[in-house]
Amino acid sequence: MHDFLRRRSEYTILPTPVPEDSTDETRLLFTDSTSQDLVAVMEACLHNLHDVPRAKQIFEGLRQSGRGDKLIDARLYNHFISAYIEMATSKDSAHRAVWLEDAWALYNDMEQSREHIQPNANTYALMLIAWLRFNPDTPNGVNLGSDAHDPISLLRNIIHRQIAPALVVSDRAFTTDEEATEAIKALSRAAVQMGLSSVVNELGLADSLGRQQDDPLENVPEAVPVVKVKTLPDIEVKRAEDGSVTALEPHAPIKLEGEVPFNLETLRRHLGNVILHRRILAEDVGLRQRLLEQSVYNVAVERMKRQAELFDQLGLPKQGLHSTDLKTWMWHWHVKLESRIEAEIKNLEIEERIIDRLKRKHKDHVQLTPLLNLLKPEKLSLITILEVMHLHGSGGVQDGMKTARALLSVGRAVESEIKAEMAKKHNVPLPTAASVGDGNVFSSVGYRELHDQRVAARKLIEDAEDWTNAEWTQLVRVKVGSFLVDCLMDVATVQRSMKDPRTGEIIYEEQPAFFHSYEYQRGHKLGVIKFNPAVAERMSKDPIAETLHPRHLPMLVKPKPWLSYNNGGYLYNRTWAMRFKESREQELYLRHASDAGRLELVFAGLDVLGSTPWKVNRRVFDVVLEVWNSGKRYPKIPPAVPDEPEPERPPNMEFDNKAKAVYIERQKAWQQAKASNHSDRCSVNYKVEIARAFLGDTIYFPHNVDFRGRAYPIPPHLSHIGDDLSRGLLLFGEAKPLGARGLRWLKIHLANLVGYDKASFDERVQYVHDHLDDIYDSAERPLEGRQWWTKADDPWQCLATCIELRSALESPDPEAYECALPVHQDGTCNGLQHYAALGGDAVGAAQVNLAAAERPSDVYTYVAQMVEQSIQADLERGDKAPHYAKLLAGKISRKVVKQTVMTTVYGVTFIGARDQIERQLKDRGDIPPEECWLAAAYLAKKVLASIGDLFTGAKEIQNWLNLCARLIAKSIPQDRLISAFQAETAGTPKRGKRSSQPRWKKEQMTSVVWTTPLGLPIVQPYRAVKRKQVMTSLQSVFISDPNVPSTVNAAKQASAFPPNFIHSLDATHMMLTALECRSQGLTFASVHDSYWTHAGSIDQMNAIIRDTFIALHSSDVLSALAQEFRERYANYKVPLSALTGAAFKHLKLNPEQLDISPEDIEALSDESVVRAAEAEEQAEESQALLGDEDDADVELAADAEAADAEGEGKKPKKKRAKSAPKAKDRKSKEEIEKRLEGKFVNLVDVLPPLPEKGKFDVKAIKDSLYFFS
Amino acid sequence: MLALRINRCRCSHASRTLARTYSTESSIPALPPGAKWKVEFPIQNTLRRERPVMHNPESAREVARSFLSKPAIADGGKIVIEAFPGPGALSRAMLELPESKLSKLIILEDDPVYLNGLKPLEEADSRVKVVPMSGHVWDTYTHLEEHGYLEGLKPQPIEGPIPNLHFVAHLPQSVKGEQLIAQLFRCIPEQSWLFQYGRVPMSFLLNNLMYGRVTARPKAKARCKLSVIAEACAEVEDAVDPEMLAPYEEHFYPLPAASGIQKPSTKRVGQPMHAITATPYSEQVIQRGEIDKWDYCLRRLFVLKTTPLKTALSSLAPGATSLLKDLTSGGLPSSQRVNVAKTIKDLTVADWTLILRAFNNWPFRPEDLMITDGFKDSE
Repeated sequence: MHDFLRRRSEYTILPTPVPEDSTDETRLLFTDSTSQDLVAVMEACLHNLHDVPRAKQIFEGLRQSGRGDKLIDARLYNHFISAYIEMATSKDSAHRAVWLEDAWALYNDMEQSREHIQPNANTYALMLIAWLRFNPDTPNGVNLGSDAHDPISLLRNIIHRQIAPALVVSDRAFTTDEEATEAIKALSRAAVQMGLSSVVNELGLADSLGRQQDDPLENVPEAVPVVKVKTLPDIEVKRAEDGSVTALEPHAPIKLEGEVPFNLETLRRHLGNVILHRRILAEDVGLRQRLLEQSVYNVAVERMKRQAELFDQLGLPKQGLHSTDLKTWMWHWHVKLESRIEAEIKNLEIEERIIDRLKRKHKDHVQLTPLLNLLKPEKLSLITILEVMHLHGSGGVQDGMKTARALLSVGRAVESEIKAEMAKKHNVPLPTAASVGDGNVFSSVGYRELHDQRVAARKLIEDAEDWTNAEWTQLVRVKVGSFLVDCLMDVATVQRSMKDPRTGEIIYEEQPAFFHSYEYQRGHKLGVIKFNPAVAERMSKDPIAETLHPRHLPMLVKPKPWLSYNNGGYLYNRTWAMRFKESREQELYLRHASDAGRLELVFAGLDVLGSTPWKVNRRVFDVVLEVWNSGKRYPKIPPAVPDEPEPERPPNMEFDNKAKAVYIERQKAWQQAKASNHSDRCSVNYKVEIARAFLGDTIYFPHNVDFRGRAYPIPPHLSHIGDDLSRGLLLFGEAKPLGARGLRWLKIHLANLVGYDKASFDERVQYVHDHLDDIYDSAERPLEGRQWWTKADDPWQCLATCIELRSALESPDPEAYECALPVHQDGTCNGLQHYAALGGDAVGAAQVNLAAAERPSDVYTYVAQMVEQSIQADLERGDKAPHYAKLLAGKISRKVVKQTVMTTVYGVTFIGARDQIERQLKDRGDIPPEECWLAAAYLAKKVLASIGDLFTGAKEIQNWLNLCARLIAKSIPQDRLISAFQAETAGTPKRGKRSSQPRWKKEQMTSVVWTTPLGLPIVQPYRAVKRKQVMTSLQSVFISDPNVPSTVNAAKQASAFPPNFIHSLDATHMMLTALECRSQGLTFASVHDSYWTHAGSIDQMNAIIRDTFIALHSSDVLSALAQEFRERYANYKVPLSALTGAAFKHLKLNPEQLDISPEDIEALSDESVVRAAEAEEQAEESQALLGDEDDADVELAADAEAADAEGEGKKPKKKRAKSAPKAKDRKSKEEIEKRLEGKFVNLVDVLPPLPEKGKFDVKAIKDSLYFFS
Repeated sequence: MLALRINRCRCSHASRTLARTYSTESSIPALPPGAKWKVEFPIQNTLRRERPVMHNPESAREVARSFLSKPAIADGGKIVIEAFPGPGALSRAMLELPESKLSKLIILEDDPVYLNGLKPLEEADSRVKVVPMSGHVWDTYTHLEEHGYLEGLKPQPIEGPIPNLHFVAHLPQSVKGEQLIAQLFRCIPEQSWLFQYGRVPMSFLLNNLMYGRVTARPKAKARCKLSVIAEACAEVEDAVDPEMLAPYEEHFYPLPAASGIQKPSTKRVGQPMHAITATPYSEQVIQRGEIDKWDYCLRRLFVLKTTPLKTALSSLAPGATSLLKDLTSGGLPSSQRVNVAKTIKDLTVADWTLILRAFNNWPFRPEDLMITDGFKDSE
């Protein structure tokens, strides 16, 4: 591992995106949205031969323009060939010759690699079929002359391309056994004629494999009296570098057995086995998962229907909308929506046909009907209803959702359902996870092995799938979503009843189930879709789990191993290995790194995390369910009926505005509490329902990573990353004996959960011994007893542990007790641990337990003490002591400073720190609320200063990272710079409206990119936000188009870099630990810096945690980063103006050193544009990080009018700046370069030197007990 | 008296001479000339920056006289509560008026720097009371009442004549200022705050933007919730010709920041200013206790101000389209029907009254009319 981490990493280096208006070649690296839309439509037209001529037209257009290059691959060509052949065979046999001509022409283009696309096994299989069906000797024969190839010619090409003929004849192109047999015969004849005996043999083997009967009892361990003798011959597989099979050679003569009919399925499965060296997922194991993923909508509709029928049968009054049952409502909506969608699609078809004939189309126009027609109206209706129901309460909207998100989500759900339908059309074999334990994955041989296995598996899967690469654009998603949601809002109604306050009679009114409205959020007008109160109320009560899509649920089988960046996890629902932040650049880097085989360990790590089996903790679940049904308030479980009394109306509020204001304030707080109680109730409802659904099952959580490489389980509701309740409900799938050490760790774990985690281990064990009585009481009578567990920091996990501990102690041999409870080891302030290790900072290291010590040291307490001392110092100034020193003296507890200390490493600002501290001070309750704000400001300053004093090493590294990022974000690749100035010279100003900014400002497109020690490229996504307005019938929606690159947000790139970098390190540490645990046979799970395993394995895992941490930090991470920057940004230039002021000071640079005349600097820094930009950035900086976790993906303004009103403030300020260069010297390239000399410097020349490393040796953590504890 | 007042308004020459006469009578310590304010009253915080106050004694006189003479009261001088006075140029101008016009001046100011300019007034003129509290806090007014500052006040019923109390304020140019004026207007139909003493006139110095909002009529672009409530509750009139207060720099302090990039220009100090007086009507269309419903409907519907009422209604509350029949039913006399094709900003106060009536009669109207922002706390 050490050597692996010290190896010279291979970087994934891609060109910097270029501005939208550039015509540069590299632009083609990023596809444009229009092409992407076209490809999606084309694919839809191809599907089931829906409209092949139209698909062909688009395809040819794309090929000619070259715009689709990035989206098109061999599979798409094959798709077309297949469609043409099918047209010739069935749908349009009248024009058979034309279609066949097209098919062969396409094949010939592929053979000649005109568009860098080469035929593969599937292509040859298709062409074989074409020949078999339509060669001149057949009844339907068509003579196409030299364009068509006979089997001899095809075989020659097959062999030339080193494709195994066996793979061709077993290709999925063959749908009948007969045709496959025919193909084998034809190719064999050709081989005989060509005298290729090895090919004849190979085909013979294929034939025999196809006739091999499956042994149904193969996996049954017991001896079975009569077993058919298996005569599978030994086969040697030769593979090309990329893992593809080049030849299959039988070692034993083939024994053909009797008259077993040839079966394609069998052949494929056998070949799959051979190629992958391992068993293919048994069908029956995967069956439920397959069903779960395939048929969610079908199941949902069946259930709703049955319930409705049940009511009818029972002779209950046809309540229909009168009923207040969610499922009944949904059924009624569904019935109406289905026919509505069907009718609307017909309308739309006519409309689109008319628009299609128009010469001038709106630029946003997309044909929707080809896409919508891929699914039945029934399914579209279900998707819409379920998706909208699921978004209830998302984005912080009370009983509703943001419109933009709703439209996008529905669009995306339709998209993924289409993809899933396509995927399941073929019986895709599924490989199981690569077995990490087999070899040392950190050795080059092991790594290579891993890579080969993955590539082979990926090929197998991809070859078996239809081409489904056409990702929809945001625009298409919104349009599809809007079409469907609009229909839903129109038809979905509920009946509400109400007692008329005047007459006292009950009146009914039919109301829409959803309504559209606007809310203000931080001064922005946001369109929202809200639930009718009657519906919202049911959401917290009715069983809702079946409204969940399987991508929200745990899996019943091990997740599909990650085969590439976008293939893995769920079986049929496309998932990405990384959660992108609306950044095409991130996706591109990931794809390139994945294709280059640099991500093997990341994929393997994710596979390890995903393959950890879990089960629901039945005993905890029973308690949860009892509490839930009782409706009482419990820790993490809100009461069914909010139990806080409504504030009383003060009698004098009629005229006393003060009293009224106070009342309104309280009323508001009460309303908020009520609303959050409701949404908490809904969220717990999901967890309970999911846990119930999976009781007794072994479940798995597929994982992927965020853009910094941190791993997360994909299912959002119930997983171990969730809150205390979720964690309490989960156990490992397997139990392991405790052993003596395990029993001890179980006790320590219990003490930690209670909150008694500052003491030494012995004291923690003693604590548990002292509370055994309480623990037994909690375990035996969780609800009737003294309920000691409810007072713990993490009550539900505490309860689970109490139960386990009691069971262990009560068992005859506690040390032999088999325990499935995950026990945690948490880093103590993990961010600071990494900083201390990076900087070799001995003082800091001691504070965060990197150094061995008798007792755990607690950095929060230490900082609290430092602050307290500083306050005492203030007090000594007597009368001059600040007011707040007196107020706060003696009140600085660990809790007050904890969050701030924890988050400083992640770059918390003064503002953030003040708010955190204010919250803590208010919670204390002994400081007058009106004083808290200023007191917090006073305190925040002290806390930040104390941390700075304590962690000087961390501070220096943070500054270094920040400065590097600042420079990178300002830099421009040299070639872009030159062309920018050329453009400026050449371009004629258009309508005088051109931005007066110098062109190079627009070229500041460089984001900070680095590679983690595992090889994962991290791209910071922060760029100027560009949103596109899309008109929908509900409202106009603003969506960002990730395909349109924009300039970087330099301030955010800089301020977010240190925390992101540290996160990429802790993610690496976690992945290393996961891999190592797997190879030592430990079960492993993690929540970022909290690592979990069985109690009995803790000691072993602790050793691994330390080893991996040492290995990681012995590799000199920072030097490697500096080196990477030097290579990655070798040809990048920084404008001098970016170096003015504080930056210069930080860098300790002086102009002379850089050979720059002071006048140059003067000239550049004089530009008002630069000034303004800098000032703006500084203003932004203070809040740069705040938006980080926001889901900034969608935001919208209301209608066009709102856009106008806002536009006033948002329009880019047009600053008429005199740009320095004068027209006369904009002449030649040399001159430009000459002029640039004075104004731009090489990025690598100004990168600051690394801060000096301290004396602390990271190996010392081997002896630190409390490093992770 | 009345004739005299009209004369003064029309003829600025006459007013200036008259004003001078007053000034000779008083012994009020003068403020430093406007140019020196930067030094005397430095702008150190945004709070102060966002509060435009008059510095020109001449225009202050004009404004003071106009504020206090209209509407007139039956007898005796007025008790004036002045909020956000700054260093006190307008206060000084008001004190130049005789006892028959101004019987008491209660100054609310919590800015210590500005208090330096105000404190001397208390010694120079016994009519002055300086209360070091903010005009933006309800407590301040309770404090005035409890500590007998309002002695000599003759309360009147809301239908009755104008009482001898008058509220004067420089409106701060911030969100807080906007909230303040909206709240004060909302107090009128509730008869809370100073309106428990009757139809107390309010005079404001405010910027162009706020002026536009308060005075916008139906169809105007600036028409908003505040415009409707102001129009329904009070008669709003210009106190002086806005030309008289232009350009900003000659009459107001602080000067606009040289080149700010933080805020769009309409929100920065330095815009044209207006002086207005709002006199509550004796007959109120908004019934006591109904203001929350008005507020709810106005707020919800003005989100879609350029949308026709019939379309916008659906976002008023779930199922609110059923109000349409109450507004358009053929059985109603035409005067009680609303043209639902009108856009929200085109609706008149009469239209709004009918909408509110229908809302009130609708059994499914939401119970919770609280102004929450619809988002959970945490986000």
